[in-house]
Amino acid sequence: MTAYHTDDIIAVDDLVVVYPDGTRAVDGISFRVRAGEFFGFLGPNGAGKSTTIKTLTTLLRMTSGYASVAGAMVDRDPDEVRRSIGVVSQDTVVDVDLTGRENLLLFGRLQHVSSEVLEERVDQLLRVVELEDVAGKPAGRYSGGMRKRLDLASALVHEPSLLFLDEPTTGLDPQSRAALWEYLETINREKGVTIFLTTQYMEEADRLCKRIAIIDHGRLIGEGTPGELKSALGGETIELSFESSGNPELVARAAKVLGTIAGLSQLSTATSSLSASAANAERLLPSVITTLAKEDIHPSALSVSTPTLDDVFLRLTGRRIRSDELDRRTTEPFLQ
Amino acid sequence: MSLMLDTGALFRRYFTKLVRNPTLLVTNLVTPVAFLALFSQMLGKLSVFPGVGGSFLAYLTPGIVVMCSVMFSAQAGMSIVNDLNSGFLQKMLVTQVNRGAILLGRLCTDVFMVVIASILVVLAAIAMGVSFVTGVPGILLLLATSAFFGLTWAAIFLAIGLKTRSAETLSAFGSGVAFILLFLSSGMFPKSIMPGWAQTFSAWNPVSYVSNAMRSTVLGGYDWGAFASAYAVTGALAVVAFAAALYQFRKTVH
Repeated sequence: MTAYHTDDIIAVDDLVVVYPDGTRAVDGISFRVRAGEFFGFLGPNGAGKSTTIKTLTTLLRMTSGYASVAGAMVDRDPDEVRRSIGVVSQDTVVDVDLTGRENLLLFGRLQHVSSEVLEERVDQLLRVVELEDVAGKPAGRYSGGMRKRLDLASALVHEPSLLFLDEPTTGLDPQSRAALWEYLETINREKGVTIFLTTQYMEEADRLCKRIAIIDHGRLIGEGTPGELKSALGGETIELSFESSGNPELVARAAKVLGTIAGLSQLSTATSSLSASAANAERLLPSVITTLAKEDIHPSALSVSTPTLDDVFLRLTGRRIRSDELDRRTTEPFLQ
Repeated sequence: MSLMLDTGALFRRYFTKLVRNPTLLVTNLVTPVAFLALFSQMLGKLSVFPGVGGSFLAYLTPGIVVMCSVMFSAQAGMSIVNDLNSGFLQKMLVTQVNRGAILLGRLCTDVFMVVIASILVVLAAIAMGVSFVTGVPGILLLLATSAFFGLTWAAIFLAIGLKTRSAETLSAFGSGVAFILLFLSSGMFPKSIMPGWAQTFSAWNPVSYVSNAMRSTVLGGYDWGAFASAYAVTGALAVVAFAAALYQFRKTVH
């Protein structure tokens, strides 16, 4: 058991969640979130992010382990947990027949907000998420981004100290996504609301989160600030691409050749690309090109990049976070 | 306390949703009245059959009231299926809302609408010349019985909705099974015109018990024996339906 601090708003130890069909969706994870933190839970589809959120928000029963949220045990005192949390689920959920204001009033009443303060708080929230002009219109007429903002506001109407967001920006256009990011940052910074956010977008986690845990196959495989995680990779990345059709033998031969160059490390290959880490990648580029040319290997493109969280994920798991999509792209027959 | 307040908040939600979907609301309110008008006009000749009491319109009135209890209670199942599939139920479940209020708010809405629809049928019948031999107290008893039967049906639809999570299954059940029960009962047609097998079915059909009791408020005066059987049958059905609905609800919200 990791040390328990009183300012840990979430404490999870050895949490296991097994579904009735036997799937171990969460397989023994432990982590802490401190009060006021903007915490990111990063992982690909099916990694166990949603299951973790559902368990911490009292919607799913844990199989074993320990979890406390806002000072209450999740499995023993779910009512106490619900008092302190707001939840925005993956699908945007609003009542399309009710107006924006009615949606917020309903959730205020269900959260037992006293009627004296409710009206004023609803007006204030409508201003914060910029829906005051359309507050009297049925939510069914709102755009996707507006509904998400209403969904977010309805999770805040009881002033929770902790806000859970499960992939909140999935399906939003870039503009709505940026707007949502701003609201979340404001809520975190100005109201001191702790935010627990799951995402499969690296740049989202990188931009918003002060600390990140990376989950894959139900296990935590990395934890730290974005900076720590990236610097642990050691330097920059050189990436070589070959013709799009993919040629694993050629890539493997190239990897073998590059292995002889001093200063290159952590070689990893994909069907039509290859990457390697180096402390001073730019200086190594000429020798990479000439060494490959000697063996008659000619990459179609070559790039140098400083590490991103995507590289962190690649390094920790051996694949890209959105590998499902990348794989699909490379195995699809090329249309003539 | 939270049960009452939360039930009130949810009643308000469901009621607002009903009013904002006027097509469904008007269809449900007009259909029973239209049935009463059409059937009593087209089948007026049934008035001379034994057991009809001289007026098929008066005979049919309680049967159409029972129809209201079945039609509006189907909405209970539809609503819970929609909330389950849209994620709204889960969104409510992460709040501090009293769990019982989620069911109770729904049931109150349906019973309220059953009573409104029943009142419309009674008013239409009176306008068409039916007089209730038991007067206003009899009409109130008829409405209460309709509410109780509607509540029971709402629980049945809730249980099916929670179990299947399918709007298609519910509407198939609503328009199929429910209408078979209505039409193969003494609520719609007198026993004397039914073939033997239908008479047997009708004799076991809860809808027959309820409409026979209700009919005594229109024709012939209070038949307390019929009311006792109607409440016993509906009560037994209610116990099973509520047990099933609660079991499915607990399974859903664990």
